[in-house]
Amino acid sequence: MNGVTTVSLIGVGGQGILLAEAVLAEAASAEGLHVKASEVHGMAQRGGSVVSTVRFGDHVWSPVSPNRADVVIATELLEGHRGLRLLEPGGALVCAATTKILPGSVLRREEEYPQGLEAAAVQRGVRLLAVDAEGLAREAGTVRAVNVVLLGAASTLLPFGESSWARALTAAVPEKIRAVNERAFALGREAAGRSG
Amino acid sequence: MIEAMPKTLFLMGNEAIGYGAVRAGAGFACAYPGTPSTEILETAATLEGIHAEWCVNEKVALETAVGASRAGVRTIVTMKHVGLNVAADPLLTLTETGVNAGLVIVVADDPGMNSSQNEQDSRNYAKFAKIPMLEPSDSQECYDFMAEAFALSEEFDTPVLLRSSTKLSHGRGQVVLREPLAVTPPEYQKDLAKHMMVPQWASLRTQFLLHRLQRLRERAEETPLNVVEPGTRDVGIIASGVVYQYAREAFPDAWFLKLGLSHPLPYRKVAELYEHVSRVAVVEDLDPFIEEQVRMLGLPVIGKEAIPANGELDQDIVYRSLAPRLEESPAGGERPRPVFPPAPNIVDPPRPPGDLPVRPPVLCPGCRHRSVFTVLRRQKMAAMGDIGCYMLGADPPLNALDSSLCMGASIGMMAGFNKALGQKAAAAVIGDSTFFHSGITGLISASYNEADGLVLILDNRTTAMTGHQGHPGTGVRPDMTQGPSIDIQRLCDGIGVRCTTVDARDYPELAAAVKAEAKAPGLGVVVAQAPCALLVREKAGTVVVDEERCNLCGLCLDIGCPAIMPGDDAVSITEACTGCGLCVEVCKRGALTLAPKEVAP
Repeated sequence: MNGVTTVSLIGVGGQGILLAEAVLAEAASAEGLHVKASEVHGMAQRGGSVVSTVRFGDHVWSPVSPNRADVVIATELLEGHRGLRLLEPGGALVCAATTKILPGSVLRREEEYPQGLEAAAVQRGVRLLAVDAEGLAREAGTVRAVNVVLLGAASTLLPFGESSWARALTAAVPEKIRAVNERAFALGREAAGRSG
Repeated sequence: MIEAMPKTLFLMGNEAIGYGAVRAGAGFACAYPGTPSTEILETAATLEGIHAEWCVNEKVALETAVGASRAGVRTIVTMKHVGLNVAADPLLTLTETGVNAGLVIVVADDPGMNSSQNEQDSRNYAKFAKIPMLEPSDSQECYDFMAEAFALSEEFDTPVLLRSSTKLSHGRGQVVLREPLAVTPPEYQKDLAKHMMVPQWASLRTQFLLHRLQRLRERAEETPLNVVEPGTRDVGIIASGVVYQYAREAFPDAWFLKLGLSHPLPYRKVAELYEHVSRVAVVEDLDPFIEEQVRMLGLPVIGKEAIPANGELDQDIVYRSLAPRLEESPAGGERPRPVFPPAPNIVDPPRPPGDLPVRPPVLCPGCRHRSVFTVLRRQKMAAMGDIGCYMLGADPPLNALDSSLCMGASIGMMAGFNKALGQKAAAAVIGDSTFFHSGITGLISASYNEADGLVLILDNRTTAMTGHQGHPGTGVRPDMTQGPSIDIQRLCDGIGVRCTTVDARDYPELAAAVKAEAKAPGLGVVVAQAPCALLVREKAGTVVVDEERCNLCGLCLDIGCPAIMPGDDAVSITEACTGCGLCVEVCKRGALTLAPKEVAP
């Protein structure tokens, strides 16, 4: 893809995919890179499966990159399975390993919640970084920070300096919830450093 | 009654359309008046066997017509050219849903602006909406084409445009009346994939309508409405509508391709004309609609460089503008060969992989408007939905909506449906912001026409789906300052519609109001008020499960709250619970209780 890196963020509407996308885009901007992103708004956000994509590099033409991501950040386990399909072989999936939000069809027992993310990742030739994002988010101060914990974990895979991430968090996160998100980011980054 | 009818009447084109609609079995007609279309509905109103009503505007008229068509009654809706702009929103989605009983939209253009502010060419809407357009050329055809229009509408599951123009609508001619057609009304069937135009179904209907257009073009090739008429001169003329009559009189010796079904254009019929003559002209008023398509086939043609592109035509203008061109000697050489455009690539919409559970959007936890659906689905009414998050009420387990067409369409559709069936068989479900967008006009129209109906306005005090913007009911401006707000209850009072406003968080009160209004005669509104759950920052508490009492009966699961999960022995409540308490109200075993909780962070 000519020096363009694609990161997709996948989760359930309401999990803060757009905020994570904004932080990521700000970080890439802080690195002086050209950035494009595409996001989902409207009805699809209401508890549905949501995907955002951020692309950065020397120059980015298209804002989308269907099924050709280098890194996928998944804020829920089933969405992690879905996120595997968005990855190029050799890519990495950063997934919330303990967050399960059952869709209606599973609640109604029409479909089964998938198992074996690790095996599926191996089969696809994708590196899996499974993080207890929910536990770390609670530790940071709110379970709602799963998105930013995972972004912290994914930051270890992305070529951005720490100061760029710090600037991005300042730029993209509202002040009221910034401190808790800074803690969440740090905890995620630390956890990934340990497992990596 | 047949015996009493004179065999031949001397009718205005508009009158002939009215007679023709009734002869073709139309039982419902609606319109907003507009010159030169007005007399169609006025004529229908004088005839037996058809209900005719004025609607508040052309958009509501088309939505009302859609309701009547769904109910199984052949329906005609009429308007002038600029009226079709007003009706464009329902039209452009109606082309996706198609019809049940035939639905014909008659649009009367006004070249020359005899009584209009512009002279737009309505044929562009046929192309835009990818639907067939019929163009009668005299009063008899106005009468006869109605039967063709309804048959096409039902066979191809499409709305049909029938275009008139001033001199046809207001010109008169003899019309031989024919035997009325025996029509079997199709019954209404709930069919979300056809009627609920949310993305996953609308994308499939888009495929359908693109394929339908291909099949319609084949029909245009075969139909006797499109005919090559031999002449004795080496000149061919393509024409439709009353302009055909002008051209025929101006050039009686020419060959003609007369188009009665002018969209989609029959390419092979066009090519056939070129086999007989070496020079072809398109004679059409206003836009080079046919001419451009002929040029696209790579065929040389005389068009708007000669025939005026504005104003009204007549035979003298046609003769004067075209005759000098035909005096010029034709280009020599081989006959031109048409290049037919290939069929378009119609792709499958992306499908989720089959091995993973889908995760469609759902109504939010804590959204008390879901209780409206749990009450509504027990009323055994068709439920015409609208545009907003509440479209999610169509999905399992709520299964409480039948359709969604376009912004504000629910009330007009309900009114037409109930009027066509003569009973209070349908409800409308519309949000507060959508009601202000264009539900009010539907309600005024339903009130004026004394339609039966139950209108449920889900008032969550915001424009939720787009991200919580203000609207006239809240008075909130884009900069979040407060302006004046309009009260829906008082608005209903003002237009003479019975209205009950209830707190949607009071389940017994809500249920009683909806049930009472569902049974009451006439038209009534229930405004269900509850703030958008996403804007309620404080949790009211959390629901606790008594696992001994829970027998997994499923009543609480049926409200479709994503915070309730079934376990092996009892349901469990996730952190998403806002403590709204609806599940507590629907549980019949007292297995769920609401424990007050501190303020959420």
